[in-house]
Amino acid sequence: MPLSPQVLRELERIVGAAGLVVSREGLLTYECDMHTFYKGAPEAVVLPESAQQVAEIVRLCRRDRVPIVPRGSGTGLIGGAMAPEGGVMVSMTRMNRIVEIDFANRCATVQPGLINLWLSQATREGGYFFAPDPSSQMVSSIGGNASTNAGGPHCLKYGITVNHILGLEVVTGAGELLRLGGKAHERPGYDLTGVMVGAEGTLGLVTGVVVRLTHLPESVKTILASFSTIEDASETVSAIIRAGIIPAALEMLDEVVIRAIEEGIHAGYPKGAGAVLLIELDGPAAEIDAQAAPIEAICREHLALEIRVARSEEERALLWKGRKEAAGVFGRLTPNWLLQDAVVPRSKLPEIMRELQAIGARHRVVIANVFHAGDGNLHPLICYDDRVPGELERAKHANEDLLHACLRLGGSVTGEHGVGLDKCESLPLQFAEADLNFMARLRRTFDPDSIMNPGKLLPSHPACGEGFRPAARPLPSGTWI
Amino acid sequence: MAVSTPALHDALAELVGREHLLRDPAGLARYAVDGLVPGVVARPGSGEEVGRLLALCAAERLAVVPRGAGTAQALGNPPRRLDLVLELGRLAGVHEYVPEDMVATVGAGLTLAGLGAHLAPHRQRLALDPPGGGPRSVGGVLATNASGPLRFRYGTGRDLLLGVRFVQADGTLTWGGAKVVKSVTGYDVPKLLVGSLGTLGIIVEATLRLHPMPPATRSWQVGLPSPAAAAAFLAALVDSPLQPDRAVLLDAVGLRRAGLTADPIALLLSIASVAEAVEQQGRALEALARVHRGQAAAVAETAWSALGVAVEAPVLLRLASEPRRLLDWAEAGWAAAGRLGVEIAVLAQPGHGVVEMAVWGSPDLRHLGQDLVRPLRAAVEAEGGSLVVQRAPVELKRSCEVWGSINPEVLSIMKRIKSEFDPDDVLSPGRFVGGL
Repeated sequence: MPLSPQVLRELERIVGAAGLVVSREGLLTYECDMHTFYKGAPEAVVLPESAQQVAEIVRLCRRDRVPIVPRGSGTGLIGGAMAPEGGVMVSMTRMNRIVEIDFANRCATVQPGLINLWLSQATREGGYFFAPDPSSQMVSSIGGNASTNAGGPHCLKYGITVNHILGLEVVTGAGELLRLGGKAHERPGYDLTGVMVGAEGTLGLVTGVVVRLTHLPESVKTILASFSTIEDASETVSAIIRAGIIPAALEMLDEVVIRAIEEGIHAGYPKGAGAVLLIELDGPAAEIDAQAAPIEAICREHLALEIRVARSEEERALLWKGRKEAAGVFGRLTPNWLLQDAVVPRSKLPEIMRELQAIGARHRVVIANVFHAGDGNLHPLICYDDRVPGELERAKHANEDLLHACLRLGGSVTGEHGVGLDKCESLPLQFAEADLNFMARLRRTFDPDSIMNPGKLLPSHPACGEGFRPAARPLPSGTWI
Repeated sequence: MAVSTPALHDALAELVGREHLLRDPAGLARYAVDGLVPGVVARPGSGEEVGRLLALCAAERLAVVPRGAGTAQALGNPPRRLDLVLELGRLAGVHEYVPEDMVATVGAGLTLAGLGAHLAPHRQRLALDPPGGGPRSVGGVLATNASGPLRFRYGTGRDLLLGVRFVQADGTLTWGGAKVVKSVTGYDVPKLLVGSLGTLGIIVEATLRLHPMPPATRSWQVGLPSPAAAAAFLAALVDSPLQPDRAVLLDAVGLRRAGLTADPIALLLSIASVAEAVEQQGRALEALARVHRGQAAAVAETAWSALGVAVEAPVLLRLASEPRRLLDWAEAGWAAAGRLGVEIAVLAQPGHGVVEMAVWGSPDLRHLGQDLVRPLRAAVEAEGGSLVVQRAPVELKRSCEVWGSINPEVLSIMKRIKSEFDPDDVLSPGRFVGGL
């Protein structure tokens, strides 16, 4: 339903003409996030400059029952920041300042549109960084990270975004502007900050974030180990965890991905290896030296072809560049792909990798892998070509089989990307009706009129699962997983 | 009660078995909550039994207070009503534990000591150590969000609870979260339950993130000459590459009560890692202490288990503020002690801005509310902090709100959540913030 001229006038009054996008071309930019299958442009995009403006926008939309879709940098992978029902999109890109860096309390207060990496850059000289490091960190926003509870390679050691959020300023779906949590690490009452993080904009909009800053490690060691098979690499991961060592990051890339990275980025990964593990240790120098030895021994026991330690910061950066920009080279592999984010218990990694290969063979699709092995968080990339009849269907079947296999092993539907529009249909695989009902009722307490990001996160909404149509063109390069 | 007591007891007995109901007055007195004696205590043997009990209680509008080991029953406002205490000690099983996953799913009634004994052969642990916590139940520790020195590295129950099975007020058995270490599927329901004091649901099972037991651990008591020296040492410590896994600050009274070496003020620290790193960091720690005119002396592991005694006072306050203000608030406590003629032991969580004050020897408790709790709370709340009366005789609780003031708009959402999930006020009525 198109927005009434009166609503548009009121929106303009709130954010000014420069903060309102209504032209057809202008809105096209906002029709999808990085999950380009799901398209749905809003009727208007507003770019507020303050929390008060956000609150006014929500109150206006609530009055007229207009859907609101929050958006940070639009790097999400789940169709979360697109507007299946039209309405108003609230883009936080103009609220991108660091409000305060408070080293004495080891925290920072930022606006939601602030780019993740900027904060670590701004605090590095003081000896600190912001630990959550989604691969998109050079472009994704901290408000978006908080709303999706983003992960990243180093959350194996440091925890995911929620472990680093001390407080939020939010506008609920009811239009209340609230400060939850803050610099004090605990306060009486229900943990509404914890509930808001990862709520994907379905409870309200994040307008400010107080984050914890983490001391930079004294020393870092990055090890690359290559293996002839993915089974050997998987067994190595399980053995490292079993030995009681939790590295800062423990990432796996398979042969298909290694080849694409080497063609695109030249990160120095060994071509021809069946799998590569990128293992990073950080902390006190004596500790990481003592941990590196058993890790290298475990790699050798599992028939590593090569074990290489980055000798300089440049070498280390290059190894990480290959990993962090891996998804950007997928265009070299395949015209189209489906991406999963399921998790398995870490002891089940070898088992799920065998299953994954069987599923690929059964449905005759290539499944490429680059993922957070230490957490058991898979990112299988199911390749297909939508110009070839039947390939999309085969890919979808492989996708389903794989998800079911992960859940059968006791896993979870999504480890870090979130649910969005993409995965809400899958929630009943993980949760019983009573569990989903609890969540739906929780949602209503924040958003009584169901205006916040409708159709996302929970399966009850009719829009869920609809709108799935292949993109007209291949996915853009510069996607991060 | 809506039904006659014998009929109700028969119905309860049918659900849990007569041997798991406690009805004799002398026994029931031991389960009193802030002086309110329940009509009956039930000891369910499974989450399903908890569900059936709560469904019955909801139908009869009975007020229920859950109880784990019973060590933290003092926390909260006096309940508005109390009919039944639900004792969860029988839910003490380890339901799933694959050491390679470093995840365990356990019954809420399992004690921390029991869980520890189960994990130790696999050299793993749950990194939660509230003072005196061995006998405490997993469910109780989560519901009260209790934490201890290990918070310094591993956080609290909020960071360690991956999945939770709980029973809603109407008896519906519900699950939230996941059984893997990383999941963002749906809302983070476990976070909502942690610290909710049994007012939204009763935790019956918890899936917990575990950590490897470090290969080597050493502990130190760093004695410091003054609060100013302690503040400077603390600031330098958190800003250094040193990575203690446990840290707690104790004042002279706290040290004496815990039976530790006398110092004007001291930090108890431990470093846990591979042996080489423990040694190297230990040397760095001793050097850093000297810079701040402190003395780092090695202490035995038993020093940590003595902490519970230091806070075993009739009155216990918990103050949370900006981390950098830790010593300032401790000083405010000492000043008040001198003024009021009471003894206060300070036990604080460095890096987290949490100061616990254990108070002994006040003859007039209302006096304490007026002269200690209220002014201290007003000052810390003005800075965005809080002061919770963790434990106190009921007269003191009534003379000064237990939880302090909550922003009215934030409280209104909490009220909406409570009335959505417990509209008839079955679960711990009145015990939580704002009388929830």
